[in-house]
Amino acid sequence: MSSRLRRALVDAGGALVFPLIAIVLSFVLGAFIVLATGNNPLTAYAALVRGAVGSPTAIGRTLLGATPLIFTGLAVAVAFRAGLFNIGGEGQLYIGAITAAWLGVTLGFLGALSIPIVLLACVVTGFLWGAIPGILKARFGAHEVITTIMLNYIGIYLTTYLALKPLRTEGLVPGTDAIDFAARIPFIGLGLGRANYGFLLALVAAVVAYLLLWRTRRGFQIRAVGLSPGAANYAGMGIGANTVLALAIGGAFAAIGGGVEVLGVYGKMTVPFVTGLGFNGIGVALLGRNHPAGVVLGALLFGGLASGAQEMQFSTDVPLQLTSVLLAVILLLVTATKLVELLFGKRARALAGARLEKGLG
Amino acid sequence: MTEERTRGGTAGVEAPVVLEMRGVTKAFGPVKANDGVSITLGRGEILGLLGENGAGKSTLMKILYGLYSPDEGEVFVDGERAEIRDPKDAVSRGIGMVHQHFTLIPALTVAENIVLGAEPRKGVSLDLAKAIKDTEELSERYGLRVDPRTRVADLSVGAQQRVEILKALYRKARILVLDEPTAVLTPQETEDLFSVLKELVADGLSIILITHKLGELLGISNRITIIRDGKVVETVEASGTDEGALARLMVGREVLLRVEKTEAKVGGPRLSAEGLVVLSGAGAKAVDGIGLEVRGGEILGIAGVDGNGQTELAEALAGTRPAESGLVRLDGEDVTRVGANGRQGRGLAYVPEDRGAKGLVQDFSLSENNALKTYDEAPFSKWGWIFPKAMRRRAAEALRAYDVRPPDPDARAGSLSGGNQQKAVLARELSGDPGVIIAAQPTRGVDVGAIEFIHRQLLEQRARGKAILLISLELEEVRSLSDRVAVIYDGRIVGEVGPDATDEELGLLMAGRTGGEKDA
Repeated sequence: MSSRLRRALVDAGGALVFPLIAIVLSFVLGAFIVLATGNNPLTAYAALVRGAVGSPTAIGRTLLGATPLIFTGLAVAVAFRAGLFNIGGEGQLYIGAITAAWLGVTLGFLGALSIPIVLLACVVTGFLWGAIPGILKARFGAHEVITTIMLNYIGIYLTTYLALKPLRTEGLVPGTDAIDFAARIPFIGLGLGRANYGFLLALVAAVVAYLLLWRTRRGFQIRAVGLSPGAANYAGMGIGANTVLALAIGGAFAAIGGGVEVLGVYGKMTVPFVTGLGFNGIGVALLGRNHPAGVVLGALLFGGLASGAQEMQFSTDVPLQLTSVLLAVILLLVTATKLVELLFGKRARALAGARLEKGLG
Repeated sequence: MTEERTRGGTAGVEAPVVLEMRGVTKAFGPVKANDGVSITLGRGEILGLLGENGAGKSTLMKILYGLYSPDEGEVFVDGERAEIRDPKDAVSRGIGMVHQHFTLIPALTVAENIVLGAEPRKGVSLDLAKAIKDTEELSERYGLRVDPRTRVADLSVGAQQRVEILKALYRKARILVLDEPTAVLTPQETEDLFSVLKELVADGLSIILITHKLGELLGISNRITIIRDGKVVETVEASGTDEGALARLMVGREVLLRVEKTEAKVGGPRLSAEGLVVLSGAGAKAVDGIGLEVRGGEILGIAGVDGNGQTELAEALAGTRPAESGLVRLDGEDVTRVGANGRQGRGLAYVPEDRGAKGLVQDFSLSENNALKTYDEAPFSKWGWIFPKAMRRRAAEALRAYDVRPPDPDARAGSLSGGNQQKAVLARELSGDPGVIIAAQPTRGVDVGAIEFIHRQLLEQRARGKAILLISLELEEVRSLSDRVAVIYDGRIVGEVGPDATDEELGLLMAGRTGGEKDA
């Protein structure tokens, strides 16, 4: 038992080492950029950290930013475990958002009771939407990367149309009607600003994803299919069914993310709606090595950097975009395992995860 | 030489030494694949390199060919220190390599393949006529019969191998390394190959022959260097040794080469096929109307050269590949439309030929692999949940019972040696007490010690009245285990013989020549 615990800890440690090194390196590189903008890197980074975790409000901002990314990160991670690249998080999130915006208003009279119903509806629409590329792949062999990318456009423009035409409200901001405050996800309080209980829902979702993958028959099949379609077929598992399910489940996760954004943050679906959450989910999943716990950590890093950047821009002249550079460098180092080998040697690369490389190849 | 056997690698070389590898060490992580390995090769000599899978033969040869760089050690070619950083360096030093898996381009002709990368040119264009002429000259000189104008895709495996050898010779190789060259050949093709090799050494070339087949080396090589656990155990004169001694050196203990077989107590038919037609992945008829019957208490062996429909036959019988037409019966029941899952449930065990990509999920733990087929049954599962603890407990028992090393249920399957992986597959397949067992190449790429173990297991199942279908490319294996031997050729069973049939008899059948037609 203790040896197993030790092994689990070593594994977790190994998984963390690389992202951590990548983060440190990206900050070193970022320091030169800050210098180039004529600022003191130390002051800038101090502001960045202060803005991310320096006060309850800052932490609240970080949690708020991390929440949807946990959902979209899980959307990528679950599909990845079946050997699939779900690039469709963006569209899936929009589908969830429009579902929540519509039902949230319609069922608003139920008050807080409507929240679980609305979120459940997001699960359903996201599941069905996510199943589309799965079916296209299982039935016709269409590559999921292409179809999920294309379905993003369809999802985004379909929801935009719905928000602007059938569900349009009167008012200055184009978009759907505002949901009654009683039917929205409440703020956590505790001085955490606008952070809402959606973050806790995201944590629950991560736990659910973990249990699904490692504690259920379905998860066993999904992982077997992802790691070795040949062996899965040999064992009598349906490759097609698991392909569809993994993408559909991923779609459901992203869609709850959209629902939580609407119910917890915006109260409606505005046009334009918040963009990039689905795509950043890919980065979050890569950083988190497609493990639910890693996804949570990755999302917190993304959220923290975004939140800290505001403070950094406020107290120094360093533009917000620096954090995009930092994130890009981090992801580059985490994914470019060959580069890691060049910098640190082969053993390091083994640690960085030949597995990831195999999946990408 | 005053004694027949000498320690180390410099024994018995009378001819001038053309190649010496000295103190080569190469580690992968904590594992030393080569540990101070030294070998010498004399001019005009065939050196056998013998060792179990994972002993380090291939690593050593990859170092020689510049595919790996050694951590320590030096290579001397013609007494001169050679820095071999990549295959190009190796080729320029006159080292040629014939890999186990060919590196030919099927769509090109023989001549084009041979000159590829070193093309004779006329101005800026390829001088095809010269390429063909060069190829013809080479093939004439060494008896490597092959038509330079044929497309490689249309050649038999044996002919493709000759092209590979010609490719090396065209690049002026004087040291030729062949990696398991006989694995894909019929007995007759093997003889042809060996007579070519003798021509080559008579012409002054030197050859390193890598193999794990003991008998072959005795017939053809001058000296044999045995490698075990990354170290040279001994170098012996081929004339002063025998199979038993070689096996002992290779494994490090006494090995039973012949399996003890009891009298068969044959029962009723358990697995049968009628008019079975199965398509290959490419859509061609890989199995073309096969009928067979395996009865309880007997082993039916399927002999044949690789690629004659064995894979598709096994998969169609096991239910992992659909049958185009025909019937499969399991204990009298028509299971043609029953999937792999259903056939497992009816007591069919299947040891697939490709344990790497089919038998095991490499990145799953051994406990997960042990439950690969039964994860959805009690005690591993209830109401959709799975119980890793129960899987782990059961796996620990199975791994111990089948001597899998390490017997650690949490170890990643891919981290095990080939033999232990295969034992893990066997543990899963046999521990469910199946009635029918399909074993496809159960000992491919498995070391001698594990082969012995696997053979014993299969015979034990036979003694317990199980029906066993054994599909293997190793003639010796089919013969020593089977009660009846059916020969498969081009998707058809072309004959059935007893286990005491001669090599020649079997060889002719394996080449598709049935009784009447002598020169088809």
